[in-house]
Amino acid sequence: MIEVEGLEKQYGDFPAVRGLSFAVRPGEVLGLVGPNGAGKTTTIRSIAGIIIPTRGTIRIGGHDLAAEPVAAKSLLAFIPDEPHLFEYLTVEEHLRFVGRLYQVGDVDGRIPGLLAELDLADKRTALPGELSRGMKQKLAIACGLLHSPAALLLDEPLTGLDPVGIRRMKATIVRRAAAGTAVILSSHLLHLVEEICTRVLVMNGGQTVAIGTVADIVASRPALSGRRLEDIFLALITPDGDARP
Amino acid sequence: MIGVFTYLAWRSTYNRVARQARQLRNPRYLAALAFGLTYLWIVAVDQRPERPPQILVGARWLELVGAVGVIGALLWGWIFGVERRVLAFSPAEVTFLFSGPVTRRGLVQYKLLRNQVLILFNSLLWTLILARERFGASPWLRAISIWVLLTTISFHRLGASFVRTSLLEHGRIALRHRIVSLVLLGALVIGVAWSIKDAMPDLAPGWAGGLTTFLDALTDAAGRPVPRVLLAPFRAMVRPLAAHTLGDWVRAAGPALGLLVLHYVWVIRADAAFEEAAAEAALRRARVTPRERATPRLAHRRLPALFRLAPVGWPAQALLWKNLLAVVRSRRARNVAAALALAAVVAGLLSFQAPGSVAEVAGWLATTWAGLSIVIGPQWVRNDLRSDLLKLDLLRSYPLAGRAVVAAETAASTLVLTGLQIGLLLVAYFAFLGNAHMDPPLGLRTIALLTVVACLPGINYLGMLIQNGAAILFPAWVHLGSGRPGGVEALGQNMLIIVAYSALLGAGLVLPGMLGLLTFALLRDAIGWWALVPGSLVLLAGIAVEAAALLRWLGGVFESTDPAGAEIAA
Repeated sequence: MIEVEGLEKQYGDFPAVRGLSFAVRPGEVLGLVGPNGAGKTTTIRSIAGIIIPTRGTIRIGGHDLAAEPVAAKSLLAFIPDEPHLFEYLTVEEHLRFVGRLYQVGDVDGRIPGLLAELDLADKRTALPGELSRGMKQKLAIACGLLHSPAALLLDEPLTGLDPVGIRRMKATIVRRAAAGTAVILSSHLLHLVEEICTRVLVMNGGQTVAIGTVADIVASRPALSGRRLEDIFLALITPDGDARP
Repeated sequence: MIGVFTYLAWRSTYNRVARQARQLRNPRYLAALAFGLTYLWIVAVDQRPERPPQILVGARWLELVGAVGVIGALLWGWIFGVERRVLAFSPAEVTFLFSGPVTRRGLVQYKLLRNQVLILFNSLLWTLILARERFGASPWLRAISIWVLLTTISFHRLGASFVRTSLLEHGRIALRHRIVSLVLLGALVIGVAWSIKDAMPDLAPGWAGGLTTFLDALTDAAGRPVPRVLLAPFRAMVRPLAAHTLGDWVRAAGPALGLLVLHYVWVIRADAAFEEAAAEAALRRARVTPRERATPRLAHRRLPALFRLAPVGWPAQALLWKNLLAVVRSRRARNVAAALALAAVVAGLLSFQAPGSVAEVAGWLATTWAGLSIVIGPQWVRNDLRSDLLKLDLLRSYPLAGRAVVAAETAASTLVLTGLQIGLLLVAYFAFLGNAHMDPPLGLRTIALLTVVACLPGINYLGMLIQNGAAILFPAWVHLGSGRPGGVEALGQNMLIIVAYSALLGAGLVLPGMLGLLTFALLRDAIGWWALVPGSLVLLAGIAVEAAALLRWLGGVFESTDPAGAEIAA
C-alpha cells in the first residue's frame, strides 16, 4: 500500500533523510521511531505529499505521489501532532468539509458513529476555540478517519489525549489496521509502538538503523536478546550501543 | 526592564529581517527586490520634476487638510477602536512576559516600543514619498516630523482604545475614571458638528466651484473662532511637516513634541486607570453575579440552506464553502450587509422626497467607494490563500490539484468583495432612483449597473489572483493571516502596495478592456447602449483567458512550494 524507495530530503547542506526505503502492506502498522532530528517527521510529511522529496519515489496504492498526487492523496490521511483546525467551522462542519474534499457520499451516515467513537458527540456544534487541546486532537483524528483511508499517517497521535482518549485511539488504530489500512505511526512513546505496531523502523541521522519486527531486530543483534524496545532503541541510536540509563 | 524590552524588540526585528533577507538566495525573491527598489526609485526620486510642480500650490493647505485628516483618523479610532491589535500579544509574549515580573504598565511600554518598528519604517517611506520640493525643510526634518505625527496618532488611538475597552467592559465604573477624556471628546465632537453646520452655507457653494474654491472656503471656515480653537492642536501636530525653513521647523516642533509627550502620559495613565476600573468591576461582579457568564451563542452557527455543503461535487468547492462561512459568521460582515441594506432603502426613499440633496451625496459616496474598493478592497477582504497559507501543511495534504486550490481560494474573496461592491452600487442606484432630471436617465443607469455587476466578478477575480499570487510566490515576504498591518502608521506601506497592485491590475485589464471597448464601439451604432452587454462579455472572456493562464502557473508554483523552505511569515 505504501512504498518508499530511496527517499532523500536535503535542506541546503543538511540531509534530513538519506536513502530511506521501506514498504507498508495493508493491515500493517509500522512504528517510526528515532531521536529528535532523526528525520521521522520529514519522512511522514513527505509521504503525506506535504514536503517535496529531493530524490526518491513514494507510491500510495500504486499511485506515484509525484506523478499522480491527487489520486495518491485521496487514499491517504495525515494526522499531525499539532491539530490544524479552521476557527470558523464547527466540529460537524469540519467533517462535512473533509467529506466533500474526499467525496464521501454517505457523510451523514458516518459522522454520528465517528463522533461517538472519538467521544465528540456532544461537541457537534462547538467551534475549535471552545475545545480543549485533547478535543481538538480528537477532531483532527476524526477528520483523518472520515473517508476510511487506505493509508493512515500518524505523527505523535496521542499528544494531548487523556488516558481514556489514548486507550480509544490505540483501539481505533488497531481496528483500522485489522480492517486493512496500512498505518505509519511516528512516536516517541516506545511502549505504544511496542504495543500496537507490527513492525518498527528505527531512524537516526536521516537513515534507517533497523527495520523489522522487534523479534527480527533482536535476532540480528543477539546482545539485545530479552530487552524491551526502549533498551533496544537506546542501544541502536547511541554511538557505542550502550543501553544503560 | 526597558533594556530587556529593547533587546527583545531589537533581536526579534533583526532576526525577522535576516530571515526575510535569506530568501534573496532564491532568484524569484531577488527579482522581486529589484522590482521593488526600482518602483521606490520611481516613486521617491525619479518623480521630482525640474521645476516646482502644480501641487506646490496645494502646500499652503497642507496644514489645514492634514489637521482635518488627523481629526478623521482619530475619530475613526474612537468609533471603531482599531488599535486593539497594538496590544495583541503573541503566545510567547504571554508566556514569558505575563508570567514574569513585569508590570502592566511595562507591558504597554513594550508594545509601544514594538509598534515603533512599524512607525519608523513608514516614516521612512513617507519621507521618500513626500519629495523635498513639495513638503518640509529637509529630508531629516521631514522624517522627524512624520515620526512625531505618526507616533502621536498611534498613542492617541491607543488611549482611545483603552477608554472604549474600559467603557464596554466596566460601564459606569469606567465612566468615572474616564470622565476627563470623555468630556474632551464630547466637546470636540460637539464643536466639530457645530462648526460643520455653521460653515455649511459657505462650504457647499465652494464644493460646487471645484477643489481650489472648496479649499479656500474651508480655510475661511477654519479661521472662525470655534474651529480655530478646535483645530489648533491638530494643526500643531501637522505644522512641522509644512515648515519650509529650519527656524519655522524649530518653532513648530516644540508644540508637536509637547503633544507627543502629553499623549504618552495619557496612554500610560489611562492604562493605570483601566487597571483600577477592572479590579473594581471584578469585585462588584463577584458580589452581584456569581453565575457563569460566558455561554456560547449557537444561533450564529445555524446556516441557511444556501450554505449547506453537498457531500459530492467539485472537491475544491469545500474550500470555497469554508472561506465564505468564515465571512458569513463574522459580526462585521453581518453589520456591513445590514448597513448597506438599510442605506439602500433610506436613500431610495429620500431620493423621491428630496431629490438632489442628501440622497445624491449618499449616491456619489457609494459610487466612489464602490470604485475605490476595486483597488483597496483586496486589502480588506482576505478570506483566501493569504489567510490559509498559514495552514499550508494541511492544504498540501488534501487530494486537490494546486490549480484547484488557488481557484477556489481566490473565488471566495472575489465573491465577498463583489458582494460588497454590488451592495454599494445598489445604494447608489436607489439614491438616484427618484431623480428624474439626472443624466444619464434611469434606463441607461440600469444598463450600466447590470454591465458593471456582470464585469465586477471577472475584474475582482483577476485582482484577487494577483494578491494571492503574491502570497504564493513570496510567502516569506507577504503578510499572511486574516489581519494585516493597518492604521495611519502603516498607511505609507499600504499605499505603496495599493499603487503597485493597481498598476498590475491595470496592466492585466489593458488587453481585455481594449477588446471589450472595440466590441462596444463596433456595435454601438447598431444596438445603442445595449452594446455594453457584448462589450462586457468580450472583456470577461479576455479576463477568463488571462485568469486561466495565471491559475495554471500559480497552481504549479503552489504544488512545488516546499512548506519547510517557504518560511511563511504570519
